[in-house]
Amino acid sequence: MGGRKMGNLNEIAAHLLQNDDVQLIIGYGEGSAGRVRPLFVSNKKATEKLLFDSRCTQNLASYLYKKEITCLGKPAIVANIRTLRGIIRLAAEHQLEDETIIALAVSTGDDVKELRRLEDMEQYLSEADLQLKKEDKALLDKLNAMTIADRWAFWQQEMAHCIKCYACRQACPLCYCTQCTVEINQPQWIPVASSKLGNMEWHIMRSMHLAGRCIECGQCGEACPANIPIHLLPIRLAEEIRELYGSVTGISKRESCEMSSFQPDDKEKFIT
Amino acid sequence: MTNEFEPKIVAFVCNWCTYAGADLTGTSRIKYSPNVKIIRFPCTGRIDFMLLLKAFSNGADGVIVSGCHPNDCHYTSGNFHARRRWITFRVLLDFMGIDINRIVFAWVSAAEGAKWAEVVNSTVNKIKELGPYENYREIINEVWEEEKWEI
Amino acid sequence: MARIGVFICHCGENIGATVDCFSVAAEAAKLPGVVYSVDYKYMCSDPGQSKIKDAIHEHKLTGVVVSACSPRMHEPTFRKACAEAGLNPYRCEMANIREHCSWVHEKGEATTKKAFDLVRTLVEKVKNNHSLEPIKVPVNKTAIVIGGGVAGIQASLDIANGGHKVILVEREPSIGGHMSQLSETFPTLDCSQCILTPRMVEIAQHPNITLYTYSELESMDGFIGNFNVRIRRKAKSIDEKLCTGCGLCCTKCPTKKIPSEFEQGLANRTAIYVPFPQAVPNKPVIDRTNCRYFQTGKCKVCQKFCPTGAIRFEQEDEIIEVKAGAIVLATGFEVKDAGFFPEYGYGKYKDVITGLQFERLASASGPTQGEIRRPSDGKIPEKVVFIACAGSRDPAKGISYCSKICCMYTAKHAMLYKHKVHEGTPYVFYMDIRAAGKNYDEFTRRAIEEDGAKYIRGRVSNLYEKDRKLIVRGADTLLGGKPVEIEADMVVLATAAVSCKDSESLAQKLHVSYDSYHFFAEAHPKLKPVETNTAGIFLAGACQAPKDIPESVAAASGAAAKVIGLFSNNELTREPVVAKINQTPPPVFSTCMGCELCMQICPYQAIDKEEIKNRNGEVIKTIAKINPGLCQGCGTCVAFCKSKSIDLEGYSNKQIYAEVMAVIND
Repeated sequence: MGGRKMGNLNEIAAHLLQNDDVQLIIGYGEGSAGRVRPLFVSNKKATEKLLFDSRCTQNLASYLYKKEITCLGKPAIVANIRTLRGIIRLAAEHQLEDETIIALAVSTGDDVKELRRLEDMEQYLSEADLQLKKEDKALLDKLNAMTIADRWAFWQQEMAHCIKCYACRQACPLCYCTQCTVEINQPQWIPVASSKLGNMEWHIMRSMHLAGRCIECGQCGEACPANIPIHLLPIRLAEEIRELYGSVTGISKRESCEMSSFQPDDKEKFIT
Repeated sequence: MTNEFEPKIVAFVCNWCTYAGADLTGTSRIKYSPNVKIIRFPCTGRIDFMLLLKAFSNGADGVIVSGCHPNDCHYTSGNFHARRRWITFRVLLDFMGIDINRIVFAWVSAAEGAKWAEVVNSTVNKIKELGPYENYREIINEVWEEEKWEI
Repeated sequence: MARIGVFICHCGENIGATVDCFSVAAEAAKLPGVVYSVDYKYMCSDPGQSKIKDAIHEHKLTGVVVSACSPRMHEPTFRKACAEAGLNPYRCEMANIREHCSWVHEKGEATTKKAFDLVRTLVEKVKNNHSLEPIKVPVNKTAIVIGGGVAGIQASLDIANGGHKVILVEREPSIGGHMSQLSETFPTLDCSQCILTPRMVEIAQHPNITLYTYSELESMDGFIGNFNVRIRRKAKSIDEKLCTGCGLCCTKCPTKKIPSEFEQGLANRTAIYVPFPQAVPNKPVIDRTNCRYFQTGKCKVCQKFCPTGAIRFEQEDEIIEVKAGAIVLATGFEVKDAGFFPEYGYGKYKDVITGLQFERLASASGPTQGEIRRPSDGKIPEKVVFIACAGSRDPAKGISYCSKICCMYTAKHAMLYKHKVHEGTPYVFYMDIRAAGKNYDEFTRRAIEEDGAKYIRGRVSNLYEKDRKLIVRGADTLLGGKPVEIEADMVVLATAAVSCKDSESLAQKLHVSYDSYHFFAEAHPKLKPVETNTAGIFLAGACQAPKDIPESVAAASGAAAKVIGLFSNNELTREPVVAKINQTPPPVFSTCMGCELCMQICPYQAIDKEEIKNRNGEVIKTIAKINPGLCQGCGTCVAFCKSKSIDLEGYSNKQIYAEVMAVIND
């Protein structure tokens, strides 16, 4: 494995820049210590540095609306399945418009597909494998099987490491609000400092705000410097929502949000 | 006053059904436990899940959320939206190990004065059995200590 | 700084006997921000209210908490008192220490403490209240009435006679609706057309009424007082200004065998046609799906013969946009169609007809000039079986309700038949006779006792044709289920009255609710029977549920009274409890991100998009915008909004947060 470059990706990227189809390529490049890092390329020569391999799991969609990036012009984005779902969900929530970005869809091998329209991306996703990562599924199952006291202990122990750095928020393509609820101080919904209570409330709020929207990329958990599996919280809700209402997110620009809709006969057993 | 544990319970209710239902409990002079205090909302749809957390973080041992029965919402569908919100919220809390038995959801109409008393009394009894919410109190107290330390 | 006044009411003994009001007032006085606190026997009395008013002046109060009964009882009283003393009424809140405290708890320390907790909670809320102004919206004093049956006609005339403009929209080429198809009406047996047609003419001639026939509602937006309605005027293919209604085109039209809708298929019409001789307007339309020219490109006979050159083959549908302050829905009902009754042989046997077809047979202007002749061979039937509840009250068929009008019109049919065919025998199979109404029971008794209608209580189990007779088999449940067999010449089904096929889509266009049968839903089954849940839209007639003529007319006049009441104001005043999108300084303008999810959640379609543009007119941001005229203040969007960009006046995040933090505080 290692840093296998794919000629195809670099060629397409170079071509796009040369034709001025886009002014920026958002992709992956070689980082330090054998890791990959996001790479932003705006000249043809630098496209050589773009790479894609099994290490490139990061969801890059969150860069699409960051001001520092949008000011660089129209982008093409190297897109794995997670990134593509992020793009579609952002479009569904009217955060980006059709034909304003080009996705260079990469999965395995040298097969890079240039997708210019959301419709093409939807088509691509319709054939993709949207399963959860095996280790995530395993941890989910393990937690679900625990007693409530054990789950409390598990999360309390994990969240004791949370430093409220909000890297999870930064990494999430769907945390695009210019003003997050944690930044509101009138009223102060969540204590500012990192504390057991505040950490827990922050993660409850974040997960609830992702309910019906989360594309299950797990980026929040990957971004966590304390390695807390916080991505399992919104993913747990996404699983539940899929089971209850049958909806999958990040696959259609016309999709809604299960939290902003209802059925008069929604089932529950807890309301007396 | 006895030393028996008296739970603190906050009720989040909608104006049109449950608030009116609780008024009827009063008009009918049906007695219930004074542990519950009502906060009035226009609709269950208005009840932000964060407010429930705030009640617990402020020392509540239990919470009641109540509004119009399905199809009876004064605003036609606020309670339907609320219901989905609670379905999801409970799943999350449970997954995090928070005791969802401490949050009681009910539909109480403007005509159900007796039911309101019953909901309150059964909730009070239930929370008395569960005892003070020690887990939560523990993490709340941590904040207080820290704040003292900062000063 | 907040300067709050707290007023604790004893409500005589009601609160005072259980709660120590004096100590609650004393404790409240110590709360931060409270500058005045007092208890009094009856706060709602004149001297009680004066105490509040005086304190507002004397202590320069910025907020008032009246701790007394339920705000559902006296909030308006105390808010008015505050307003009279110059304090914005929305700075006054009530703590409910009677219904929620003294009446439901025993006298004691815990109860007094709870009363104080409630006072403290509301004090914290009111510190976060601010002044609000009632919302005023202008009223456009034009009403749109949808449906030109008897209900629509009545509503239109009542509103127009009240001095307001009315736009009456009718889908068919003529107004008149079902009533124009009826022969005589129960319980008086007066001629339906004789009483209706003068009203139809009045519509056409009324200076306040604009009539759009052959037109349908395309779409609607806006809100009470300010609806924008688009109406599709289907191409009639004639120039109405030139057409004199001479009818020559209709007599010359070569396509003559189209089953007439008005005659319920018992007679034919031409492709260019006027539905019936008394139609209003009495001008033809071309039915394009049956017109030879529109189907084959050749014919134009009508154009050739038209003396005024009024035929317009090239005419297209036209969409007109009108503004209105109120809408009356009067789209009526339909009778259940043929395929629904295979067991009664409808559609299979020519002489099994519906009640509405019988009306046409009995009508002097009908296909038989009022003689009762059966459709198959024109023979005068000697025995007629009337089957009530054909479809109605039949949960297995999906219609659990009673169609209400059938018992009466079946009795009428039996009578009319007997009056016209003296030697004939009418049989009526029925489940129950429901004849509640003025002179209704007398009427059905007359059918049985004077006109000799033979009523058989039971259902028909089998119906088949044999030797040009219809054999009707059933059981008489009043005779212990004794089998009955009648050799009838004709069978009339009292088919269920159902909602119009497109009522669901119309309801959705207008955002009014409908029941499981797709009848439009009233706002309250008893106290708001002509209102819908959408303010400014009213119901008249059988679009709400099956209704007979007097009920339809009464509902129509009721709806008209509501419209006229609404139009008696130049402006509407609404409680300012509405949601608002926040505003922040440029370049952010609002923390709303324009995800548009709140637009789906709003039960009132009150949330729209707003484009924020720079000086060059370029769109820099799209955010949500809440229409205060439509918003009803439920706050569902507020709780849903992730960025907390929406807040609800009167129940703001700050207010409720303060309450939650104060309610438990030891």
